[in-house]
Amino acid sequence: MGLSLSTSAVPELSLEAFETECRGRGLDGMELVLPRGASLEALLDEAKEAGARILALRAEAIDRESAPALARAARSLGVPVSVPAGAEVLGELGALAPIFEREDAKLLLARGSDLEGMVELCAAIRIADGGTSLGVAWEVMPSSEKLDDASAVLFTAREFLGLVRLHGGGPEQRDQDGLGVGQVLVDLALSQFQGPIVLQPSSSEALPRWAKWLSSRRSAGCGTKAEAELLELDVRDVEPRDRLGTILGAYASLGRGKTMKLTVDHDPSCMYYTLQANEPEGSFSFQTLEHGPEVWKAEVTKL
Amino acid sequence: MAGGIELDIRVVPPREKHPTIFRTFDTLGPGEAFTLINDHDPFPLRHQFEATRAGQFAWTYVESGPAVWRVLIQKNKS
Repeated sequence: MGLSLSTSAVPELSLEAFETECRGRGLDGMELVLPRGASLEALLDEAKEAGARILALRAEAIDRESAPALARAARSLGVPVSVPAGAEVLGELGALAPIFEREDAKLLLARGSDLEGMVELCAAIRIADGGTSLGVAWEVMPSSEKLDDASAVLFTAREFLGLVRLHGGGPEQRDQDGLGVGQVLVDLALSQFQGPIVLQPSSSEALPRWAKWLSSRRSAGCGTKAEAELLELDVRDVEPRDRLGTILGAYASLGRGKTMKLTVDHDPSCMYYTLQANEPEGSFSFQTLEHGPEVWKAEVTKL
Repeated sequence: MAGGIELDIRVVPPREKHPTIFRTFDTLGPGEAFTLINDHDPFPLRHQFEATRAGQFAWTYVESGPAVWRVLIQKNKS
């Protein structure tokens, strides 16, 4: 499975800079959004020159005139093209499918988590070409659409599913707590979905945070001097991957008999088990004072 | 492992990460496995597995950073 970022997340970056940042973030590649009216060939040349690892193409619209060039681009990169599955596109499936079939390329029709809409889309695909050159791109929008039916939507779409577009993740992870992203990922894993997951901002207001997130790579590492004095540690704004280092660093700098107050936004038992595995027996005490659901607080005392 | 179960935990909100992983593990049948994909070494999770599911799993690093970690987590047969 490839995790990739849509170029719409930081549209001002050149493809070369975007590729570099994606690598730094450990992402497997990018979704290249094709701006309307832009020269497709020039864009693909730029992508090639930049060494961009493109996992999917995105067009905001498609018709009989624009389809052949999109299908050729998809074939040359060996990746699918996704387009929103509007009524006009659905009415043209009979004409669009053969264009993609000729190029041995895949056109993915994008829909959200509305079950009826997904059933309708899958029926249309089945009638038009049985899924040979048409498929589904599932738009998962936790911040704007309820995911109550997500399991059923996935079950409906899974035979045609070629791409998942998650509107969020990245710097928006914390905002999407409790909205069903975890369950969607469990369902995708258990259905053995292998196609790419594309991240993109949930709204244009989120764009500045994505630019910051992509370029920040690693935030503060482990225990700084400040933390040695600071006995209250709130890691909610620390990137998940840097949290444990921050906490263990702070613990290491803690004097004997001193207590550190921890504030986190998830159950801190993993911290407890890590200390238990790494520190001598009986060398610390760990007490959870507040048990969520929004905030957990714990006190760690070095004995 | 082509065709296997892959759980990319990088996009899951912090509070849901570990519950999501344990839910996936608990759904596995004996001998089945999944690949966990993460942006940091998930060793704290391993300690949590040891504490709560001792003897029930095997933990194999497939890729160890610097940007991406992959761990094959298998449910033991017995």
